[in-house]
Amino acid sequence: MPINITDYTNNILKNISFSLEYGEDLIILGANGVGKTTLAKVLCGIFPSEAVRIDSITPSKVYGETRARLINYIPAKLDVFDEFITVREFLELGLIRGVAREQHPTTVDDVLQMLSIKHLADKACKLLSSGESQLLLIASALLHDAKYTIFDEPTANLDPKKMQILFNILKYDTLLQSKLIITHNLDLAYKLGFNILFLEDGSIKFHGSNADFFKQTHLDTIYDGSVEKYQNNIVVKL
Amino acid sequence: MKKVILLFALVLLVIAPFFGQIDLPLSSLLEPDNMEHKVFFDIRLPRVLLAFFVGGILALGGLIFQTVFRNPMSTPFTLGVASGATLFTAIAIVLGFSALSPLFAFGGAMMTVIILFIVASRFNAYDSTSLLLVGIALSFFYAAALMVMFYISSLQESYEIMRFTMGSLDIVGFENIIILTFASAFLLTVILRYRYELKLLLTSYEFAYLKGIDVKKTNYILLFAVSVAVGVAVSFTGPIGFVGLIIPHILKNIYKQSADKLIFPIFFYGGVFLVTSDLIARNLGTASDIPIGVLTSFLGAPFFIYLLIKGRK
Repeated sequence: MPINITDYTNNILKNISFSLEYGEDLIILGANGVGKTTLAKVLCGIFPSEAVRIDSITPSKVYGETRARLINYIPAKLDVFDEFITVREFLELGLIRGVAREQHPTTVDDVLQMLSIKHLADKACKLLSSGESQLLLIASALLHDAKYTIFDEPTANLDPKKMQILFNILKYDTLLQSKLIITHNLDLAYKLGFNILFLEDGSIKFHGSNADFFKQTHLDTIYDGSVEKYQNNIVVKL
Repeated sequence: MKKVILLFALVLLVIAPFFGQIDLPLSSLLEPDNMEHKVFFDIRLPRVLLAFFVGGILALGGLIFQTVFRNPMSTPFTLGVASGATLFTAIAIVLGFSALSPLFAFGGAMMTVIILFIVASRFNAYDSTSLLLVGIALSFFYAAALMVMFYISSLQESYEIMRFTMGSLDIVGFENIIILTFASAFLLTVILRYRYELKLLLTSYEFAYLKGIDVKKTNYILLFAVSVAVGVAVSFTGPIGFVGLIIPHILKNIYKQSADKLIFPIFFYGGVFLVTSDLIARNLGTASDIPIGVLTSFLGAPFFIYLLIKGRK
């Protein structure tokens, strides 16, 4: 059941077409304002479009568990209106209709443990720091258990240790099914090793293997020499 | 703390019908033929029940509006439902149908709801701000139309219209109470049925959407249920301000729990607040009762400001 987007155009994106097989992962790169978040919202149906099909279903056209099981989007920032919803309550909402599947035995306590945020369980979401909020969002993605999960800059606010935890989850953990990761962290993109989709001026400029994208000659053409490979790390020249 | 408040509230509810311009000794209530018995069962008790249900509906309506619009300043009147009711009451009075004014008021409230929903069908699911703005625009329109009604009405009619806008709990007999009980039950049933959706809406529209919720449909069902119940309430009592704004805020500050857990407390204490306000209004010793809407704002505003200041520390 692949995810397909066919010739999608709006005021930011132009003629976007690609598909991703179920079980594959993808990294979405591109400059600020190029339309990465817009693309994510189109794919999950927050911006409804018939150009999107997941297993031949358009997410915005279905409701309930059917849609929730298809695709999930983890925004860059946590948005909670109620002052008193706690971390635990938020995570319980992360389970679809409050129920974990049998094949997916992860509990709220498991994910709190995994991300070492157990001490925050009874804290109000509104009082979390930006890094803690990000971890909470990641925890909710682990519980939600959608076929495709889109992470929008999941590492933006994380300290180095948390970054390692997240890297291991994204790279090795089997809780998440297909992942689409929007990031500006090129080193993370390189180390994850997933295929790359690179956006420029609202269009897809590159869609291919990680190895091809991170060839020095290719990096030079894309980033005008501001990025280089150094001892198997991708570094930004400052 | 919570138990003390609950006990106090229950005592208030029980004693409320016994206080007023005439003292009612307990013994007199047992004899069906005397005047005290009539005062108690035909006037006092219905009035307390009216205050309780209307207070409950307005407070719970406030909670729902604040959640759906993600705006702590929303009240059940924000979308112009009360203004619609007021305008149509004025029309009824000017046309000489004073006796039918509750029906007109309900019609006005429902017409507002229908206009809002027709307009809203043109907005996308996440655009609650536009709906809010339409409601505010409608309120202004109604206010202007109300001025026209004042302008063309006689002095006596003007007074009647003015009196409606101040809110009143004058009522005789139980027929209207039955209608209000149904309205309250309807509102509570709908909200409890959508409790899970409501909790998701308390996070964000996007989060709710991603869990499979039909956000637009849920919002509209909740707003519709509130508007119907508030329409019924307002048609009997006129617009009573401030209950829908302050009760949800006060209860959140006392309970410190997410709003989905406060459905019953907010309904209950909204009712208690209005019963208490009415109890005070009836017992100040003035020649006529102070209009209830005036009193709720007099009591509510300072207390609300006090809570805000205390909450920020």
